[in-house]
Amino acid sequence: MSGTGGKEWPLIFFTLLSQTAVGAFWTWAAFFLAMGNTGNREEFGFLTIPVLTAIGGALGLAAAISFFHLGKLWRAVFVLNNLRRSWLSREILFELAFLFMIALLGFLEWRGVGPSFVIAGLVALAAVTGFCFLFSMAKIYMLTTVPVWRGPHTIASFFLSALLLGPLAAAAGQGSLYKYSDRTHSFQDIAAFISLSAIILIVLTILFLTPRVGFFGIRKATLLEYPVDRMYPYLVFRILFLGAATLFLVAFHKKQEIGRLINIALASAVAAEALGRRLFYAIYSRVGV
Amino acid sequence: MPNPYVHQYAFFFDASACSGCKACQGACKDKHDLPVGVLWRRVYEVAGGGWKKEGGVWVPDVFSYYLSMACHHCADPICGDGCPTKAITKRDDGIVILDTQACIGCRYCEWACPYGAAQFDAAKRIMTKCDFCYDDIDEGKPPACVVACPMRALDFGELPDLKKKYGGTAEIFPLPDAGITEPSLLIKPHRDARRAGKDTAEVANWEEI
Repeated sequence: MSGTGGKEWPLIFFTLLSQTAVGAFWTWAAFFLAMGNTGNREEFGFLTIPVLTAIGGALGLAAAISFFHLGKLWRAVFVLNNLRRSWLSREILFELAFLFMIALLGFLEWRGVGPSFVIAGLVALAAVTGFCFLFSMAKIYMLTTVPVWRGPHTIASFFLSALLLGPLAAAAGQGSLYKYSDRTHSFQDIAAFISLSAIILIVLTILFLTPRVGFFGIRKATLLEYPVDRMYPYLVFRILFLGAATLFLVAFHKKQEIGRLINIALASAVAAEALGRRLFYAIYSRVGV
Repeated sequence: MPNPYVHQYAFFFDASACSGCKACQGACKDKHDLPVGVLWRRVYEVAGGGWKKEGGVWVPDVFSYYLSMACHHCADPICGDGCPTKAITKRDDGIVILDTQACIGCRYCEWACPYGAAQFDAAKRIMTKCDFCYDDIDEGKPPACVVACPMRALDFGELPDLKKKYGGTAEIFPLPDAGITEPSLLIKPHRDARRAGKDTAEVANWEEI
């Protein structure tokens, strides 16, 4: 049995939005925590409410889209029933926990309550919850019966996508906010650097770990193999879009131009990762019949 | 009520006797009133071989055999492991059942099962699977597929009893390593099954299943 039947677009949108939200939160959280109690934090603090609102909104939208891949929407309330064994149940638990922490942080910032060490602790805890969310999301696919998914490339791809899309989305979001202010660009520069590093790691993952075609990818996947030819168009276009994102990021770094270039880089990266997710489902091939 | 003296029901399939008539498949579909596209029991046609040279002449050297497969009510059902709603459970007599009132239709079990047992009902938007005709079993009757087989290639019973009666294996081409899920299945292999594992062989009737 190979191929998942092409009905996974809701899952692709859910995954990309979730990865973007978690990656954006990590970027914001790293800045937030690094600034400590310095004056910069105060300057940076004006971003908190818009960033948390955008991340919460993205997570809510992701959850809503994911319902479209379910056969019975209203029974989704039962998805936490198998936390002991199902990574899908755990994924939903961590998603809800992450969303709750984002909402809590937003509320505390909005009301201006809570000592700074409590806020910092909550930010760190939310970052860890986001990690658990992505980890359980990747583990869902690491099935014993699907060798092409059960490998380090699956874990790597889930986290690298978050590190590519999240900082870019955060930088693009900040760019749109800065249109109305005269703040510095340091946040965008570092976010762009993280995304660029993620692109390099993604290309290395493709080269070394992709099943069948990577240097160290899984070779003999199943008895009934998927056609390798199916991979190439996705791979080629994914690399092209990653290349485009790199070019726009480099151009952004040189010109220090806020807005347009980072937005185009984000759009290219989203296209690349959407193709990556589609490829992931296209190579599905389980053992047996 | 499940039979309290049975701990693991199992199927036996004699691949050397099966003629591929699909009476088992039809009986199952009829009893459970399954819609188009849903088959709880499927008959796979495995085919392979080619031409070989004998003296100065090329002669056909082909083989084929059938496998009648349903849910194998595994000791370690991987379909149930991933199910987020615990819709898939194992009865005391080893039969793996799917609660259609709890299934959300996420199709995760379909990805996981290496025997293609979990089948999506597109009209009801939920997963379905072979339930070993437990309603008949509880009344002491055999499953519909076993009754229907004109070649007596199918049998059922408690796993240790079937092992004693028939022996057999659960690993013939193209079935996976039985260690993954420990299926409650015994197969008497067709004489060409060993060859299928070595030579180029394939399932030749994907369109039918």
